[in-house]
Amino acid sequence: MASPRRYRRPRTTLLILVLASVTIITLDARGGFHRITSGVRSVAADAFSPIRGGIDDIIEPIGSFLAGSVHYGAVRQQNQKLQAEINQLEQQKASQQDIDQQMQQLTALLDLPFLGNLQTVPAEVTNFGSSNFAATIDISVGRNQGVQPNMPVVGSTGPAGQGGLVGQVVIADHNSSTVRLVTDGQSAVGVRLDSGPDAGLLAVLSGQGAGKPLSADLIPANAVLANGDIFSTSGVPGASYPMGIPVAKVVAHRIGLTSSQESVSLVPLADLTQLRYVSVVLWGPST
Amino acid sequence: MTTRGASRVVLVVALFVVVQQTLVLDLRIGGVHPDIMVLLPILAGIIGGPSRGAAMGFVAGLAADLFLPTPFGLSALVATLVGFAVGEATLAVDRTAVWLPVVAALGGSALYEVVYAVLGSVLGQPQMLHTDVLRIVVVVSVANAVLAVPAMRVVNWALPVASTEGVPTSPLSSGASR
Repeated sequence: MASPRRYRRPRTTLLILVLASVTIITLDARGGFHRITSGVRSVAADAFSPIRGGIDDIIEPIGSFLAGSVHYGAVRQQNQKLQAEINQLEQQKASQQDIDQQMQQLTALLDLPFLGNLQTVPAEVTNFGSSNFAATIDISVGRNQGVQPNMPVVGSTGPAGQGGLVGQVVIADHNSSTVRLVTDGQSAVGVRLDSGPDAGLLAVLSGQGAGKPLSADLIPANAVLANGDIFSTSGVPGASYPMGIPVAKVVAHRIGLTSSQESVSLVPLADLTQLRYVSVVLWGPST
Repeated sequence: MTTRGASRVVLVVALFVVVQQTLVLDLRIGGVHPDIMVLLPILAGIIGGPSRGAAMGFVAGLAADLFLPTPFGLSALVATLVGFAVGEATLAVDRTAVWLPVVAALGGSALYEVVYAVLGSVLGQPQMLHTDVLRIVVVVSVANAVLAVPAMRVVNWALPVASTEGVPTSPLSSGASR
């Protein structure tokens, strides 16, 4: 008779905690409680932002020192002094290239032609994805800078250098935000074909996960597409994005034997792996 | 649990959050970063049994949820289940065995990631099953197995009194707890 009594308490504890977790998930999903969790998340993000910055400041010099030591040891058999000078020059060059690259990205951000008169807020990418199950980035601006959830985010880097849509703000804290990338499985962007015989064709681009190509839905089998064709945000009434932001270009398309739709793969025009700076477009469906 | 004990748990959870958010997120292996928050319920389950494993899972999971874009409470739910499961599974095992944290971290982390993806998919995040779950399982499990032994010392500090929950543990463990 001892065993059932012995196990009653752990199972009661489990039941209570599982019920509490399910309640939190349900309340958060239904809206009202979401404000509380968002507030707590904002406080946590604000508290961790300086901690993260401080630790990065500590770790970067240590990493550079260790890397320098390893490099120094490797060239010791040759000419230490000469090699050290070369290393120093290379570091300066790399540093200069890094600065140039940052300047290029920032300058390009200020001159994105597709933004027109839309107001933007530049932001630094502070973190690439806190979850392995979602394609997101964290950026350095938040509600205090005018950022709100659902605002579009654009980047300047890309295969052709023209940049394009990066994603959409999903969480806006006081001084930081989380952006869901267009490649995330939850992302769906209404788009319009820019050029070709079927220019103006509407479709929905869906993310398939980080690093994977986007897929296009609603493209009829008789549509005329070519690799390199560009899709931009459609801007139809009620759309989540303003019209004309380049999103992705076609890299493969085929018609299934029994399918009434064309299967299309696309790559984002913004290089999502090289993002250092982005711009948040201060735009909402009602603006 | 005493105030002192609760303070220690809070400190350890905070430490793990800081390390996860500042150092571990930058360690990418095949695009996947380790997740040391999963270690907390697993190790608490070994040290304190199912109840403490579940409780630690709930607290650590809520703390992790603060920084994740996935549904709030999902990590707490999965970590609670994993902490309890590890506690149950290790009740009959000598909890002082050196290999136990390593094996439990390996298996518990794999279980956590799979259940997380499945439950996330059920809760309206279908993309979670479309990610490379196997790669995530491998990276997180192996990294946690490597970190299990040093992490065990930290969690042991937070949960110094081993809960036997009526089940005999090894003489060393029982002696240490009394």
